[in-house]
Amino acid sequence: MIQRVNPNLKKDLLKLGVKDWNECFHCGNCTAICQLTEEDSLNPRKVFRQAQLGLKTSLQANISPWMCYYCGECSDTCPRDANPGELMMSLRRYLTSIYDWTGLSRLFYTNKFMEFAAILGLATIVILLFAIWGPPLDPTLTSEGGVKINSFAPIKWIELGDWSMAVVVAALLISNILNMFYKVIIKPGVKIPLSVYATELWKLPAHFATQAKFRKCDTKGKYYWGAHWMMMTGYTIMFILIVVFLPEFQVEEIYDWWHWQRLLGYYSTFGLLFGLIYVIIGRIKQNNQIFKFSHLSDWLFVIMLFMTTVSGIMLHLFRINGMPYATYYTYIAHIAILIPMICIEVPFSKWSHLAYRPFAIYFASLKKAASEKQYKTGLAAEIA
Amino acid sequence: MTSIVFTENGNGNGSLSSLNYDNLLTYAKGIAGIGPVWDKTELPIYDSGAMTHILKESKIKKIIIAGDEPGMLKPFLSKAMSLVGEDPGKVILVNFKEHGFFTNESFELAKTLLLFAIKDIPFEKVLVPEEHNVNKDTLVIGAGIAGIQASLEIADGQQKVFLVEKSGTIGGHMAMFDKTFPTLDCAACILTPKMVEIGQHDNIELLTYSELKSVTGSPGNYKVIIHKKARRVNLATCIACGICSEKCPGKASSDFDAGTTQRKSIYIPFPQAVPNKYMIDENSCIYVENGKCGVCVKVCPVPDCINLDEKDEDVEINVGNIIVATGFKTFDAKRIDQFGYGKYPNVITSLELERLVNAAGPTGGFIKFRTQNKKKNWIFSPESDEPKSIAIVHCVGSRDENYNKYCSKVCCMYSLKLAHLIKEKLPEAEVSEYYIDMRAFGKGYEEFYERIKNENIHIIRGRTAQVDQNGSGLIIRTEDIEKGLLIEQKVDMVVLSVGIEPAEGASSLAKMLNLHQDINGWFSGKNYISDPTSTISGGISIAGVCESPKDIPDTVAQASAAASSVLQSIMKVKTT
Repeated sequence: MIQRVNPNLKKDLLKLGVKDWNECFHCGNCTAICQLTEEDSLNPRKVFRQAQLGLKTSLQANISPWMCYYCGECSDTCPRDANPGELMMSLRRYLTSIYDWTGLSRLFYTNKFMEFAAILGLATIVILLFAIWGPPLDPTLTSEGGVKINSFAPIKWIELGDWSMAVVVAALLISNILNMFYKVIIKPGVKIPLSVYATELWKLPAHFATQAKFRKCDTKGKYYWGAHWMMMTGYTIMFILIVVFLPEFQVEEIYDWWHWQRLLGYYSTFGLLFGLIYVIIGRIKQNNQIFKFSHLSDWLFVIMLFMTTVSGIMLHLFRINGMPYATYYTYIAHIAILIPMICIEVPFSKWSHLAYRPFAIYFASLKKAASEKQYKTGLAAEIA
Repeated sequence: MTSIVFTENGNGNGSLSSLNYDNLLTYAKGIAGIGPVWDKTELPIYDSGAMTHILKESKIKKIIIAGDEPGMLKPFLSKAMSLVGEDPGKVILVNFKEHGFFTNESFELAKTLLLFAIKDIPFEKVLVPEEHNVNKDTLVIGAGIAGIQASLEIADGQQKVFLVEKSGTIGGHMAMFDKTFPTLDCAACILTPKMVEIGQHDNIELLTYSELKSVTGSPGNYKVIIHKKARRVNLATCIACGICSEKCPGKASSDFDAGTTQRKSIYIPFPQAVPNKYMIDENSCIYVENGKCGVCVKVCPVPDCINLDEKDEDVEINVGNIIVATGFKTFDAKRIDQFGYGKYPNVITSLELERLVNAAGPTGGFIKFRTQNKKKNWIFSPESDEPKSIAIVHCVGSRDENYNKYCSKVCCMYSLKLAHLIKEKLPEAEVSEYYIDMRAFGKGYEEFYERIKNENIHIIRGRTAQVDQNGSGLIIRTEDIEKGLLIEQKVDMVVLSVGIEPAEGASSLAKMLNLHQDINGWFSGKNYISDPTSTISGGISIAGVCESPKDIPDTVAQASAAASSVLQSIMKVKTT
């Protein structure tokens, strides 16, 4: 395939906070030290090459950044201090902005003002909606001494809001994934038999749920996989609870602590807090390769998730301890942080990796399976 | 008008210098009669049109470029000078990096350097011995090939030389090598005749097992105090019969064999050692430790030859010139965790392999596995098995920001040589070389590389990232850059081509002799290009690897150059 060198790629990448990649002298140390290196799907050195040469099309079709979980070994041992791990991290930002057809992702990544404006704007809309609607602030308590939360925020309205948010976010994310599919599979002209799409499909949920590849990065006494998995499962459970099981989750009864609803909630909260505190301390102290460089989007993601978690815990405590006004106002604050976080982070920013990573693994296995199949049929034809 | 342009902000990109450039800038602006002083960033240096305008406006006749890498800007400013009709030769470089001015401790020196450039005095003129006041004797520090060569040349010129060597024998690293590249000559065949000549030369006084303690005086007249460590064996009467060593119960690992084998506590470093006399290693001698042994004294056939209670002594000598030829030490491969040196017995260094392939080495010239002896020491013995596959890993500790940034210059070539020697000893073995860039830069080197390529050796481009033990074998992970494939190769033995570093004690010697060291610790000459052997301390020259990594031919050439500058200063002495 003939490709034009794109001299503007460098400017483009620098804008998205990609560190300069000219230090690399192509010794291949990063590729060899990486436990996840796989032909065609993960090769950090080739990413450097594409960035250095300005091969825009190749870089956009490259899924290597998503296959990397950033253990930091490559950066630690790089003889040129070229920070391959950080290049992969920042290229995930670039790819996110490339997959996003609306252009908002790029806008938020490159323009701090617009990012804050979007977050604050959405939060203001949430608060205004509550103000216009004017829900009743009922000071009386239930017979158990809990706050009458459902009189303040009726399930059906909140559910409607939840589902409309979920639909908008999912629509954006799915369209972005289709764009990614176009860039990774269609545009480079990879031929994949239809049957392979079906046989490899199981990898999508499997990798989403287990993140099994990430476990290989836990060498030399690192426990990144565990911390990340707890955070991920914590959030996924909470998300399913608030969107799908809202009637069971937002209740006025005060259940015993061993009730499934409370146990799941506590697990999620613990998982989120544990992971978040680990990341926040790491990012402040910069004590580890993976926390050395923090982009604004990294910080915003962590801070907003932390605020959501803390306001959720407060909301729970206020409700069961019968503090009606505190409960109502915290509820508004909780929603006012949650909505911008999901609407901005999931389709346009750091959180999009929840979809891009499993899909990258899926696409990688599609390519691999297709080439194997092609090889086998070629072999069969040769034998015949 | 003279103007000064500062090129480097001390905290700038890629500069390791912590010299305070802001203070230097302020100082420069305060110099009487100086024209405009600029920082590089304030000038449109690459735009010659705009530059000529500025030069014309300020009526500039001379430009001084000061910084870590001032040469980078010279072409642009010379062009601008010639465009305004001034002398383009009047662009003077002040190179702080070259003189090792990296910290604020060197601030005063940096100022001096700047003043010299303003006054048009070549900095090289400082501290030249006065013509009528030069002691004709010379001190050579270090008796490797550089020290030997320099000593012989001066001594053959009928001048007295004191040759000081830290270890018990002369010869240095070259004596440890089996063959030299690219001619595959036997290293010992070149070196030992020279060593014998040193031992027999009337004009050379050899001081082995000695170190410099202090140096005072001025160029042309140095008073040097040399600390002679107790050898405990009388050099004059020892007949090197070896009976003492046979009976000696103490053991330690042999330095000369790069730790690949064990030697006795009373020993001779190697059979061709000069002086060919025994010596006692006080660290492993049982008598020195607890006063109870003395077997060597009892068996020695020469009366009073061994004196176990001998003490260190100081000797004072007066010399006019000093040549520093302290050489190098190899990089400690244990520092790189992922290669497993010191953890896996059959990950060995190139120097260890060099001893293995040598016929006088621990295995009699056969390449064998490292095994444990009865006393649980890991050594190479002739009884072990032979490896069937060997990988050689280049650039261990060199060209690496985490260890040494510089290229050690000799490793590519000695690795190719070792690959050849392995093939010579084990023709059936599979030999692979993993390199980043193949630097075959010298006369006959590229041809040598082409020759090795045709010897059925796998030469793979890619830096090995990891060595792991797998059962009895080793697995190494490397990316083959040319094919873009990850390679996991199972081998029996891994040879780490370690880089070279300034010798132990180079910094303290530099302080004693007022030498400048560059950022990596190599000694700096007055001018790297045109006067690499003389230093800013008058009457003190540097030669060989202590100046920068180099191979044997370059070392010998530089040693001769240093010797000629010493002879020159002696010849200039006015006889009254």
